[in-house]
Amino acid sequence: MMRPTPLGRLRDTAVPWLLPVAILLGWQAAVSTGLVSNRFMPAPLDVVRAGWEAARTGELWTNLWVSTLRALSGFAVGGGIGFALGLANGLSRLSERLTDTSVQMVRNVPHLSLIPLVILWFGIGEEAKLFLVALGVFFPIYANTLHGIRSVDPALVEMGRVYGMSRTELFTKVVLPGALPSIFVGLRYALGIMWLTLIVAETISASSGLGYMAMQAREFMLVDVVVLAILIYAALGKLADALTRQLERACLAWNPAYRSA
Amino acid sequence: MLLDALRREAPADPLPETRATVPPTPASARPPAEAAGRGIAVTARDLRKSFDGHAVIEGLDLFLPAGGFTAVVGRSGCGKSTLLRLILGLETPTGGRIVLEGPETGPRRSEPPKRIMFQEPRLLPWARVVDNVAVGLSGHGSRTERRERALAALAEVGLADKAGQWPATLSGGQRQRVALARALVSRPGLLALDEPLGALDALTRIGMQDLIERIWLAQGFTALLVTHDVAEAVAMADRILVVEAGRIALDLRVDVPRPRRRGDSDLARLEGRILDHLLGAQTDI
Repeated sequence: MMRPTPLGRLRDTAVPWLLPVAILLGWQAAVSTGLVSNRFMPAPLDVVRAGWEAARTGELWTNLWVSTLRALSGFAVGGGIGFALGLANGLSRLSERLTDTSVQMVRNVPHLSLIPLVILWFGIGEEAKLFLVALGVFFPIYANTLHGIRSVDPALVEMGRVYGMSRTELFTKVVLPGALPSIFVGLRYALGIMWLTLIVAETISASSGLGYMAMQAREFMLVDVVVLAILIYAALGKLADALTRQLERACLAWNPAYRSA
Repeated sequence: MLLDALRREAPADPLPETRATVPPTPASARPPAEAAGRGIAVTARDLRKSFDGHAVIEGLDLFLPAGGFTAVVGRSGCGKSTLLRLILGLETPTGGRIVLEGPETGPRRSEPPKRIMFQEPRLLPWARVVDNVAVGLSGHGSRTERRERALAALAEVGLADKAGQWPATLSGGQRQRVALARALVSRPGLLALDEPLGALDALTRIGMQDLIERIWLAQGFTALLVTHDVAEAVAMADRILVVEAGRIALDLRVDVPRPRRRGDSDLARLEGRILDHLLGAQTDI
């Protein structure tokens, strides 16, 4: 392979950004010239101004903090249970026979359809959002952890046994690393569901958070704040994905498929 | 070198037990770790194994003296791999018994383990080469000690410079050498080779045969090679067992002195004889 020159490297990093930048410029131009009414779509600069204003008053940070906390706590609970059950069912036939069918049945219920029920149970408090996020995150983590453990090469497990590995060693050195690529797939999928669930839950019933901020802005026709909230959700999703990618690359460095790119 | 690294093995460092009939004797009675006397002798009596009522091994009797190099050849499906897995304890026999006897001296806890090299390298793709070799020392010694011995074993197979690499970056022959280092690092008394060279190209294969022969001569473990390549068996082994329909059909000594020259006329004659037998058996069926 040829070594990239500094100019070539700059070009490589710049190319993916060309299209988004062009769209932003076109958008700003369309609103500034009056081609698009700013009652329907605010100009990018208006959104930036709204963001600045919300950041200055501290409203943005409070709502962002509240939403992030909800997302992460729901993820920790649902993901933790999903991971534990996935491990248990991957390692124990009994556990799998006992629970897998039930889990698969419940999986077919769209978790957002439970919102009315959840509001009845928990009101519009924190528990409702935590419950919905946890439920949404549980299934992808569970299914991919289970699948990962199932697909560990039995030849490697046999090798580990013959070479005198203890059960703990067999798990930490063979089974878990073998299942990791699949677990990461579940993790990234679950992060997407986490934000989606939170947005819906906060938009329908909340008294704080980003979704609440967006709904309030709609009441007052503050279309720039609405777009701001949408963009922040997008940025948060991207951030979560990028962090997972970094983690993936660090943990799966042995796998040629993850080494570069 | 590997031998030096292994000699450092402390008596407090227990290795997996092989069944032995010898009572423990004081550590002072142990001879220095040298070529002779490390091997495990294998005795099988009226060994039987069947899968789902289909008999694979039928009343097989066998004695492998300690430190010998025996090759088992036969057509595919004759039960030769099953025989090896039975001896290693990877399968439980349906009938009969297998006795493994360790060296006559040495405390029971430091008896040499038995190791297998599989058809595929079976390296952990997520562990660096040196850590893969250290798998052969699972549960023994400290982390640094394991690493040191693993590095010595890698040097023995000529891969010291690959210690920090991922297995995915190695060639097929190099991976199989790492697997050999992993099998040897614990200083086995019995090394079973289950067609370990089958997937390698002809030249790499000859290199590996020489490497295994050289290490066997230096360490004196009992070697049991299962192969369908008669030329390989003849080139490497002292004794060749031809297995047919779950029984030993032919038991031949190979008295050609080492180092053996490839293409030697005595070896070729022996190879021809075994092939005639195998092909003759095929026409009978």
